[in-house]
Amino acid sequence: MAFSAAAAAATSTATAFVSGHHRRLSSSSAPSPSFSQSTHPRAVAARRRRAALPASRAATVMTVRADAKTKKSVLIVNTNSGGHAIIGFYLAKELLAAGHAVTVLTAGDEASDKMRKPPFSRFEELRSAGGKTVWGDPADVGAAVAGGASSFDVVLDNNGKDLDAVRPVVDWAKSSGVGQFLFISSAGIYKPTDEPPHVEGDAVKESAGHVGVEKYVAEQQFGSWASFRPQYMIGSGNNKDCEEWFFDRIVRRRPVPIPGNGMQLTNISHVRDLSSMLALAVESPGAAAGKIFNCVSDRAVTLDGMARLCAAAAGVAVEIVHYDPAAVGVDAKKAFPFRNMHFYAEPRAAKEALGWASTTNLPEDLKERYAEYAGSGRGEKAMAFDIDDKILAAVGKAPASVIA
Amino acid sequence: MAATASLKSSLLLPSPISDFSGAAVSVSAQKRRKSWQPRGARMQVSAVADSKNILVMGGTRFIGVFLSRILVKEGHQVTLFTRGKAPITQQLPGESDAEYAEFSSKVQHMKGDRQDFEFVKTSLTAKGFDVVYDINGREAVEVEPIIDALPNLEQYIYCSSAGVYLKSDLLPHCENDAVDPKSRHKGKLETESLLTSRGVNWTSIRPVYIYGPLNYNPVEEWFFHRLKAGRPIPIPGAGNQITQLGHVKDLAKAFNLVLGNPKASQQIFNISGAKYVTFDGLARACAMAGGFPEPELVHYNPKDFDFGKKKAFPFRDQHFFASIEKATRELGWTPEFDLVGGLTDSYNLDFGRGTFRKAADFTTDDMILGKKLATV
Repeated sequence: MAFSAAAAAATSTATAFVSGHHRRLSSSSAPSPSFSQSTHPRAVAARRRRAALPASRAATVMTVRADAKTKKSVLIVNTNSGGHAIIGFYLAKELLAAGHAVTVLTAGDEASDKMRKPPFSRFEELRSAGGKTVWGDPADVGAAVAGGASSFDVVLDNNGKDLDAVRPVVDWAKSSGVGQFLFISSAGIYKPTDEPPHVEGDAVKESAGHVGVEKYVAEQQFGSWASFRPQYMIGSGNNKDCEEWFFDRIVRRRPVPIPGNGMQLTNISHVRDLSSMLALAVESPGAAAGKIFNCVSDRAVTLDGMARLCAAAAGVAVEIVHYDPAAVGVDAKKAFPFRNMHFYAEPRAAKEALGWASTTNLPEDLKERYAEYAGSGRGEKAMAFDIDDKILAAVGKAPASVIA
Repeated sequence: MAATASLKSSLLLPSPISDFSGAAVSVSAQKRRKSWQPRGARMQVSAVADSKNILVMGGTRFIGVFLSRILVKEGHQVTLFTRGKAPITQQLPGESDAEYAEFSSKVQHMKGDRQDFEFVKTSLTAKGFDVVYDINGREAVEVEPIIDALPNLEQYIYCSSAGVYLKSDLLPHCENDAVDPKSRHKGKLETESLLTSRGVNWTSIRPVYIYGPLNYNPVEEWFFHRLKAGRPIPIPGAGNQITQLGHVKDLAKAFNLVLGNPKASQQIFNISGAKYVTFDGLARACAMAGGFPEPELVHYNPKDFDFGKKKAFPFRDQHFFASIEKATRELGWTPEFDLVGGLTDSYNLDFGRGTFRKAADFTTDDMILGKKLATV
C-alpha cells in the first residue's frame, strides 16, 4: 500500500512508528483555525468532498504543522498497564510531531516494575521529541503537574474506567479552565445486538463504569468534550498481548484453539488509527464537540480470519481447532484473548464529523508485527500451554500440529 | 415497543413511506433540494426542465416497479422493455386509484425478448433513449446490442450485485475490494468491464439481499411462512452468520439519485441497509414485523443432510455484507427503512395481506426437525 511505504520510509526507528502525519485527507494547506471550523452542513459536506478520494485507501498525507495560533498544550493522563496504555504513547508522539506541547501523566510510580514494560520503557522517545513525562496520582492532577505548564488546552483521560477514577481528573480540568476534555471509554459498553455493527448512539449498558463517566463529562459544559470507544489494538509498544497470542502458537507449530465457530467478528485496529482520530479531535474541537466516537478501524475480522492472517504474516500454515469453553471446562477469558461473541463497532461518527480515514491494513500491519516478534526471540522461549493442552485433549487433538 | 407502534400505525394509515402517494416522492425531492449536491449535478426540482427519455430493461417485477414510479413522478418518459409475461403495470397495495391511473397512463411498454439481440439493437436504434436502467441484465452479451444501438446514450445504470465480491475474512465489502471472477454473478462483473471498455458513462449498483413488498426471492417470505405456521425456524450452523437486507424502496431511491449525477459517473455503489443482521437476529426481526411471538430457532449442520436440489435456507451460509458509506457520502443517500420497520412494511403490504410468490414448502424443515427428534 503506497501510504505505508511512504510512512515506513519516514521512520528512523526499527519499530516503524509513523510520526508527523495526520490521517485527515484534507486538501487545505493550512490547518483550520481551532474553533472556527464551520459545522454548517454545506461546509461539512464541502470538507467531506475535498477529503473523499475516489475509491482508494491511499491517503493523501499532509504534515500539519501547528503554528502559534493553533499550538495546543495537551495533558494525557495515562494508565500504567493494559491494552489502552499504548494509546497515550502514540497520541503523544503524533501531537509532538505536529508541534503541540504534550505532558503525559502516568498513574502511579515512576519506579514501579510496570514501567519496565512497553510503552513506558520507551518514554525517552517522548522526551526527546519535546514531551514531558511525569508520574502521580490522577486523584490529584494538580500536584502531579505542578511546576509544569501553567494551563492546558486539552486533557485526555486514558486511565479511568469509572467515575471514582475519572471524576477527580474532570473536576480538576474544569476548575483549571481546560477547554477540551477527551475520555477513552470502551466499545465494550454497547449492549449486545442482533444488528451489528455497534454505531454511535446505540444502546449501552447503563451500569458500565465508562457510561457513568461519559455522562459526567457531558454535564460539565466544557468548551468541547468527546468520548472515544476503542476495541483491540496492535502496534509496537503494546502493553498487552494481541497478535502475540497467535504468533506464540503458530511459530511452535501448535494448533490455534478458537472458541465457538470462529466466525465471531471483531475490530483489531492498528493503534495509529486511534491516535490519528484523537489528534483530529484535538485539532478540530468544534467538529468533535459533544460526540461519541467508535475508536476503531473500519474493517472487522473474524477470529478464524485473525488466525489465518497471523499465520500468513509468519509465512506458515495454521490449524484452527474450535471448541466450546463450557463443555471443555475452561475459563473462556483465560483461554482466549478476545470476547467469544460478535464484538464489532464501526467508526461512522469519526468519518462523518472529523473527515477521518482508517489506515489499518491488517494483512500488511501483521507482517510488520511479525517481524518485530521474530526479532525479539519470544518465539524461541519455552512456554507452557496448559489451557491449550486441556482444550486439545478434550476435543481429541494432538498438541503438535501435523503441518510441517 | 417501537416495532409494534409502527406496525399499528402502518395498518391504520397509509404512511408516506408505505404507499405511492405523491407525498413520498416530494419528500425525497425536498431532501435533494437541501442536500449538498456538488456543483453541476442535478439540482433540478422542476421535473420538466430535465426530463429524460428512459428505457428500463425489466421493470415489471420488483425493483423496477418502484423505480419506474419514481421516474414517472419526476417527469421522465419511461419505457419498460419486457416480454410482457407479467402485467406491464399492476396497482400496488396502498396505492390510490388516482395515483395508479396517473402512473399506468404515462408509462410505456416495449415488448420484446432481450435475448433476441438483433431485435434489441434494431428496436432501440429506432426509438433512441437518453438513459438506460438495466435492472435484469445478467450477461455482458445482453448489454452489447443496447450500447451499439444508442451511441449517444447519456448514462447506463446497471443493477449488479454484491455477490461479485470475493469472500473475505475482512468485512464489510467495499466497492474497491477484490471481486471473484468465478462467482455465479460473474456475468455482472463482465458487464461492468464491458461498460468500462466501451467508454459508456455507466453507474453500477451492487445491492446485497433486497427485500420489500413484491419480493420474488423468498427472503422475508421464507421466515413469514414458518412463523405463520407456528413452526420452528431451522438455521444452519450457529446462526451467528451476518448478512444484510436492503429495502427495495431505498434501492429505488438510490437508483434515482444516480441519474444524471456526475458523482456517479463510472462509479460503483453498494446499496443496502445501514445495519447488518445475524441469521438468528433476522428470524427474530421477522417475528417482530409480523406480530408473531419470538420463534424457536433450531440450529443444524448442513453437512449432515442431503437436500438434493432444494434450498434449506434462503441465504449464503457465510458472512455477507457491504458498506454503504460511499453512497451515503457521495450521493447524500441514506436508507429510510431500518430492518424491523422495513420488514413490517413488507409484511403489511404483501405477506400479511395473504399474498406471496412461493407456496410454503417445509420438506427440508421436516428432514432437519425429524433428525433432531430422532437424536433426542
